[in-house]
Amino acid sequence: MPMPPLLARTIAQARLDAETLAYVDRLPMPGDAGHGYDAFGLHRDFVKLGLCAAKPLYDSYFRVQSFGNEKVPKTGPGVLASNHSGTVPTDGMMLWADVVLKVGRIPRPVADHFVPTLPVVGTFFARGGMVGGSRGNARALLGSGELLMIFPEGTPGIGKHFRDRYKLQKWRVGHAELAIRHGAPVIPVAFIGPEEQMPQIARLDRLGKLLGLPYVPVPATPLPMPVRYHIHYGDPIPTDRDYRPQDADDPDAVAEAAAKVGEAVQALIDAGLKQRGGRLFT
Amino acid sequence: MSVYIQGVMVTGATTPIGERLIRRLLEDEGIESVLAVGLEPEDEAPLPQGYGDRLTYVSVDLGRSRRVRNLLFGVAKELGVEVVIHTSMHRDAKDSGGRVHAQNVDALRSLLDLGERHPTIRRLVFKSHAEVYQVKHDLPILVTEDHPLNMTSGSPQWIRDRVEADLTACARMGLSSLEIAVLRCAEVLAPGCGSQIWDWLDASVALRPVGFDPMTNVLSVDDAVLALELAAKAFGVQGVFNIPGKDTLPLSSISRQWGVPGMPVPGVLASAFYRTRRRLRGHDFSYGMNLRRFHFCSVLDGTRARQVLGFEPQTPVDWPITTGDPAG
Repeated sequence: MPMPPLLARTIAQARLDAETLAYVDRLPMPGDAGHGYDAFGLHRDFVKLGLCAAKPLYDSYFRVQSFGNEKVPKTGPGVLASNHSGTVPTDGMMLWADVVLKVGRIPRPVADHFVPTLPVVGTFFARGGMVGGSRGNARALLGSGELLMIFPEGTPGIGKHFRDRYKLQKWRVGHAELAIRHGAPVIPVAFIGPEEQMPQIARLDRLGKLLGLPYVPVPATPLPMPVRYHIHYGDPIPTDRDYRPQDADDPDAVAEAAAKVGEAVQALIDAGLKQRGGRLFT
Repeated sequence: MSVYIQGVMVTGATTPIGERLIRRLLEDEGIESVLAVGLEPEDEAPLPQGYGDRLTYVSVDLGRSRRVRNLLFGVAKELGVEVVIHTSMHRDAKDSGGRVHAQNVDALRSLLDLGERHPTIRRLVFKSHAEVYQVKHDLPILVTEDHPLNMTSGSPQWIRDRVEADLTACARMGLSSLEIAVLRCAEVLAPGCGSQIWDWLDASVALRPVGFDPMTNVLSVDDAVLALELAAKAFGVQGVFNIPGKDTLPLSSISRQWGVPGMPVPGVLASAFYRTRRRLRGHDFSYGMNLRRFHFCSVLDGTRARQVLGFEPQTPVDWPITTGDPAG
């Protein structure tokens, strides 16, 4: 967000409790490229500001429950690969908040290329750690030992039809390639809840194109419904055990690794749905 | 850093970078003589005093190849110049045309051509610019040396010349008898260095596009000089090297630390304002030329320069306003 860190800090101090502020102050930050920012624009004060926005949703609206977050590595490179849904990508925001609050790391969400072109939003997300989805960005971050947050379904995941809920859309392979190249573990993540929060009844592709967006959704509800979010973290898949870094250039090896991750996410979704039963809001 | 060099020729000697570089080279006892080349007559050139015949200044228009020949095979040969540091580049973005192109591109081409046949010149260091890189929302923020170049059609001559000069030097690398090092320097935020951001800040208010605040890296004159000196002495090393500065910060923080209030406005308004300002008041800053840089992040990755040249940015820009709190 185009505002000075001092203002972000002041807002955060007014909105967050002292314990949370102290907690964020203790979080390990990637290298300071000068003036408190990293080269991609992440700044600690804006992480606090991001929590101001995310925490009410996390605690009170979506009442997020997180399972298995101890499986996320506390240090070193890693890739969180999750299902994506919900018409508006609040799942990304909640996963970011969950990792910050429960794991003690600031994950780096990898967003679609159009996100940095969005005024205000693109800058605000970048200050919290988001980067545009170019391979160079992801490589640089993994190379410096950071934790990436990738939604391999991409935008089609957010826009999936209600009847396709909890069915993974085309599972892209870029996350697996990056993980293999850097010997980073992939942590499968399943979201239960967002797939039902805002059923979509239509999509306006032409209007989206005019606005520089993939499409404009027409949801059945004006806002996401307050469904309870369940986040399930699976066991890390250690890519360095089965693959060598040069296998990142082998399309078959990459597809195989990506499929393993996709299967793990689907298995977590199925198990999570079973655990939740029919209780959407409780 | 103690390398014996018979002679170093520095072009662009009267610019702040050239002047500081000459001073630094003269402080090194291992360098026998420095040949400073500038456009200004000697009595107008801001040259360091007290170095006797270790410093020679000549006024030469490098855009004329005959004069470059006379320079290289005249005084440069007499002084036994081994290294040429080419920093001369037309700084005013408003100017265009054949004379500007000659200074920006043809001068370098002549130096390369003649340097290959020269009896003493072994090495050429070219100060290139980060502006040769393309900035786009779907390109990596951290710019490595293999990042796409700005070949956008309709780019102003200021950009086109810089890309052409850079490619001219790169095309000879490894094939020429000269050792060639190209330093793609981040924007030097200082007066007289052709900095677009400096001109942008030379106002009572700095307009930027609403909703965007890209990360930018700026270089100090001292660090630019350090990089050039290291590259000049790195015999046996060729290649392209990014030279980032110590300051990486959002555009809004640049204006804040410069003491100029920033104002986010719709891009159309900023464009119209700066076009009018350029026409009426002769300012150099072009919003159109910086459009993408004012929207999307672009930060040089200096890993190669650190590993090969041993360059690490050390001196921050001389900010007029220091908050005392780096985060504030």
